[in-house]
Amino acid sequence: MNDITEIRWHGRGGQGAVTSAELLALTAIKEGNIAQAFPSFGPERRGAPVIAFNRISAGKPIRSRAAIAEPDIVVVLDPGLLGIIDVTRGLRDGGVLIVNSSKGLATVNSEIGGPWKLAVVDATAIARDILKRPIVNTAMLGALIKATGVVNLESLTQPLEERFGKLSEINVQACSKAYKEAVVMEYSPGVKKAEKVYPIEKSLSWKELNLGFVVTEMGNARSYRTGYWKSERPVRDNAKCIKCGMCALFCPEDCIHQDAEGYFEADEFYCKGCGICARECWTGAITMVEA
Amino acid sequence: METLSIYAPRLVTKRQSLTPGHRACSGCGEALALKFVMKALGRDVIVVMSTGCMEIISSQLPYTAWEVPWIHTLFENAATVATGVESARKALARKGASLPKAKVVAIGGDGATFDIGLGALSGAFERGHDFLYVCLDNEAYMNTGIQRSSATPYGASTTTQPAGKASFGQSTWKKNMPAIAVAHDIAYVATASASYPFDLMNKVKKAIAVEGPSYLHIFAVCPTGWRIPTDMTIRVGRLAVETGVFPLYEVENGKYSLNYDPPQLRPVIDYLKPQGRFRHLTPEMVDKIQQRVNKEYARIKEKAAQ
Repeated sequence: MNDITEIRWHGRGGQGAVTSAELLALTAIKEGNIAQAFPSFGPERRGAPVIAFNRISAGKPIRSRAAIAEPDIVVVLDPGLLGIIDVTRGLRDGGVLIVNSSKGLATVNSEIGGPWKLAVVDATAIARDILKRPIVNTAMLGALIKATGVVNLESLTQPLEERFGKLSEINVQACSKAYKEAVVMEYSPGVKKAEKVYPIEKSLSWKELNLGFVVTEMGNARSYRTGYWKSERPVRDNAKCIKCGMCALFCPEDCIHQDAEGYFEADEFYCKGCGICARECWTGAITMVEA
Repeated sequence: METLSIYAPRLVTKRQSLTPGHRACSGCGEALALKFVMKALGRDVIVVMSTGCMEIISSQLPYTAWEVPWIHTLFENAATVATGVESARKALARKGASLPKAKVVAIGGDGATFDIGLGALSGAFERGHDFLYVCLDNEAYMNTGIQRSSATPYGASTTTQPAGKASFGQSTWKKNMPAIAVAHDIAYVATASASYPFDLMNKVKKAIAVEGPSYLHIFAVCPTGWRIPTDMTIRVGRLAVETGVFPLYEVENGKYSLNYDPPQLRPVIDYLKPQGRFRHLTPEMVDKIQQRVNKEYARIKEKAAQ
């Protein structure tokens, strides 16, 4: 590792990637280091992929304020991101990758292994168990500390208390449980990163844009997949469905359409998993399950 | 089960002028309200939109979620640009151009309407241009991160007036924007909510049928800013109407009529309780809000009875 440790967090809006980066920086500062924490996101909303960054240095001043392209450590808060974003892009040879997944170390390694140390923890299960909600950021901090030792677990308690107040106790619990449960696969040099194509939206160069930023292709947002954002998806019980269409009426994405049999089906390509259809269903035919 | 009301949702047009693939938060009540507005408007419209959530989420270069002519202006001048579009079409028609039929609709959030664009809006109303102005009111500047606006209700915690030891959140009452529109003596003013879609769509149709300016004020629940679960959007919107916090009424040529008047209003606590932004309120403050709601509701009821 260099004098300055660079960390990149991948999460979704609302999962707490930005908060964890802040907490980590505060902890590092408390231990006498110099640290930075900052997020990067577009104008997208809750559920959309977001990135946060940390730089931690033992004494060397941190001059750069730029986004981190070649991190030493990558933390992935949402297992769903692995298939859609190249989370390990630029991750240094011999770096550390920490992933939240229920699939176990071997499976995750086969999916996203490479020339780096890999740590896997089922932070969603820990968060659901202890915090009673799938906000995984504090659990992931525990796994990060175990895999990298950038800060000490004990030093994290005070920043957690200052941040969460009454809720700090369960967050400390989630953090220590993840510290215990995270499984780590050591770095083995020479392993190649698997070549994969990720469905990242194409970005246009300024030369390709129309004058005045006029968009001439109407409704082309249809090709933009917002379905990746969801953590829960609606499932319909046909026995209870009376085909009234209430779900389609109240869908903010307008992505529920009647199929040939008359049932109303949500289009997974756009569904963001808000759960309004399940809540507004007159007969309780729709339930939300983990995506 | 074979009643019409059950199947009424299926009568709503499937045509999308605002397409899926827009990037609103999951459970967005404002995107839902906009969906209903666009379904009621049909295709013969020119939409002018001021800066705000709905502009950002629908027009991420190089994408657009619009299938009607749409222009983004600044925060303050949606009404002015709508004025210009309408006047230009009139001028072209005078010069003999044959133009397809189209209604000009300006859409803005509460920040654009209540605060930043109020002067421009007032001017456009006063000049009597033939256009509809739709305010999608989610009660704060949600796009930039939940800063208070003059639409933020009393007691709500925002990032610029957070509740804590030194403050209880918003310290002023919500501006009565529909009353300001009524004061311009325009032909049609109405309030609507996405939780009552048929009422909303009927009002949109009424509003565009009017010659001259019309104003539609739509209550748009924001799960992110109001700190509620995303699936509660419609419920909270309904509670706002059932408690009298946001009464549904219309004003046609100065004549008020109340569209939803339950025999007994629910207590406001039912509306405040599910929302994280009101979590800190003391019983005294809830009581204060209740009295204010009673007073405002009685005022509208009295006007409707005239």
